[in-house]
Amino acid sequence: MSSTFIYHPTESEAEKASNSYLMSLIAIMVGFPLPIINLLATLFFYIANRKSTYFVRWHCIHALLSQLSLFVINSIGFWWTISVLIREDEQVSNPYLAYIITVFVVNVVELGMTIAAAIKTRKGHHVFWWFYGPLTQLICKP
Amino acid sequence: MKKTILQAFILLSIAAGIYLLISRVDWMKLFRVEKMTDALEQKLGDMVWAGMDEQSIEEGKEYDRVDSLVTAICKSNGFERKKIKLHIMGDSEVNAFALPDRHMVVHTGLINAVHNNDELSGVLAHEIAHMELSHVMKKLLKQMGYTLLISITTGEAGGGAIKELLGMLSSTAYDRKLEKDADIKAIEYLKKAGISPNGFADFLYRLGEKDGSLGSLSWISTHPDSKERARYIRGE
Repeated sequence: MSSTFIYHPTESEAEKASNSYLMSLIAIMVGFPLPIINLLATLFFYIANRKSTYFVRWHCIHALLSQLSLFVINSIGFWWTISVLIREDEQVSNPYLAYIITVFVVNVVELGMTIAAAIKTRKGHHVFWWFYGPLTQLICKP
Repeated sequence: MKKTILQAFILLSIAAGIYLLISRVDWMKLFRVEKMTDALEQKLGDMVWAGMDEQSIEEGKEYDRVDSLVTAICKSNGFERKKIKLHIMGDSEVNAFALPDRHMVVHTGLINAVHNNDELSGVLAHEIAHMELSHVMKKLLKQMGYTLLISITTGEAGGGAIKELLGMLSSTAYDRKLEKDADIKAIEYLKKAGISPNGFADFLYRLGEKDGSLGSLSWISTHPDSKERARYIRGE
């Protein structure tokens, strides 16, 4: 959801904030199927902008936190797949397929939300996701 | 803070709920995983066997002897004998192995190395157990998995890896746990067929001693700790 930020960001701030979301999208293309690339991309982008303005920092952390939870979900799927591939006592099963489909659904939803967030922040709007918004608010201070 | 924790809890519950909902669907059936695996097994079995069948002996005294033992084990355990494609190969190597699609290959070297039918039945029951417990495909799929991973990491998807993969099928090397599982099942099959597992244990023990008279010991060289196996088969 969108809400009003404490100040109106400049054009350059909006562009940087939007890029923090785009970083994870570019990383999807480069990093697939390794789940850590998305997280690293957003982490490096945050480190590079940690001394930037409040609006930019806020959105970098917002994007980073969302990637962090996605990293956990994707990592479980990744290592489960490796285990299915190489361990003789682990096979393709219904719980495994259900988990991989869940991972796919979560990733698609997250992808859609990230694209929407990138577009909205580029326009200077403040995007405030459920759970991730309040959590970012706790971490990132003006 | 409390609100954020509550939202985290709700979010986790939603994710768990989605997973539980999705796992209600029988994806194995929907994606026809088992049918696809069976079809793959049949193709691979035919493919591997096509390269070996020239040396196969499909009749004669040795074939009849092994055939009668396999039939006895199958009959007592309720297995369809017709499904097992038995092949005797004229090879001095002491070896027997199962290939995909229930091809069972027994070398004449093994037949000559055993002292009696109980010993031979033990080895045959062990190979039938590998088939019944789907060890052949499990092993094959793991090898394919390794090959796939190697291909992804090294960027080499050449025929060499595939050739090596097929070569692995004729080796009898399974995971230690799978070997023990097959031994335990074999004991069960033998007992049901009224055959003493001691013959199997004796044979393993003798192979463990690496009796020079037995020649090339492929079967034992790819199986772990034969003396230990002989001990647990005897129930020691």
